[in-house]
Amino acid sequence: MSVTLRIILIIGSFIAFVLCIKKIKQSKLKVESSVTWFLGSILLVLMSIFSNAVAWISEKLGFISPVNFVFLIIIAFLLIQTFIDNIRITELNEKIKNLNHYIALSENKNTKK
Amino acid sequence: MKVLIIIPAYNEAQNIEKTVKDVKENTNYDYIVINDCSKDNTKEVCEKNNFNMLSLPINYGLTSGIQLGMKYAYQNGYDIAIQFDGDGQHQAKYLKDLVSKIENDNIDIAIGSRYVTEKKPVTSRMLGSRLITAIIKLTTFRTIKDPTSGMRAYNKKAILEFNCNASLTPEPDTIVYMIKKGLKVEEVQVEMKDREFGESYLNPIKSIKYMVNMLLSIIFIRAITRKNK
Repeated sequence: MSVTLRIILIIGSFIAFVLCIKKIKQSKLKVESSVTWFLGSILLVLMSIFSNAVAWISEKLGFISPVNFVFLIIIAFLLIQTFIDNIRITELNEKIKNLNHYIALSENKNTKK
Repeated sequence: MKVLIIIPAYNEAQNIEKTVKDVKENTNYDYIVINDCSKDNTKEVCEKNNFNMLSLPINYGLTSGIQLGMKYAYQNGYDIAIQFDGDGQHQAKYLKDLVSKIENDNIDIAIGSRYVTEKKPVTSRMLGSRLITAIIKLTTFRTIKDPTSGMRAYNKKAILEFNCNASLTPEPDTIVYMIKKGLKVEEVQVEMKDREFGESYLNPIKSIKYMVNMLLSIIFIRAITRKNK
């Protein structure tokens, strides 16, 4: 891994970290839902510090370059994150639907009285 | 037997009055109009005529409407719930046939089908219908001649299924689900009219999307439904 990439990764993780903390303080993000972001940025920092270990693992796994391995990990992380978000959206959708139904049912009851 | 007719309506101000009148004149069953947050004055028309109505504050689509109807049927202890389009395509005089099929033949779901005794025309619209029929045959070994029909009667068992499983839709994949659950599904010959006012929901892109959804749902999700023990 080149020094530039390592520096970019560290700076990126740092920004993500600070942004998460800021948003939690503004209560625009919940602690539970920010865990993945914290873990992700810590992972990036670790990968840039111990780049030799990353290079060793990626060579053992047969990657042409350690960078490819790093990118693969980042893509996997993003995919998992979008999948989790997708599930959350569906849950919310279901909740709003039930609320919607509840309002209609109680309105109907009231007009019958 | 307490029978409820669920009439989902979205922007059906021109048709709804006629549909409800048809239901009232030809049957003595209870009915409920489900106004899915129509943009036109469907709600006002229903209020003016004092129709029994559930009015949703947010538009959520046909599936949500039918699910709400099923909830209403369950909470009020109805034995049979029938979904009946509010656009004037369905005729209320056939509702008795569906109910008597459930009452007399010990059937769980009766589908009002256009093609039990009549032949299915060979048109591009019917291509999708044929494909779904073939897939249902493949997965359940049952022939459902008119799987896309929107006129269906459900008994108590099926109403309960609808209330327990929020993913059930008023579409063909639910038929597969119900058959796999061990419920008895039969078709009854009915006639349907072309719609008089308003626009049909289907356009080419939506039709393709619908078909893809149905095929995926039937093959990968509903076909591996397990029977209740």
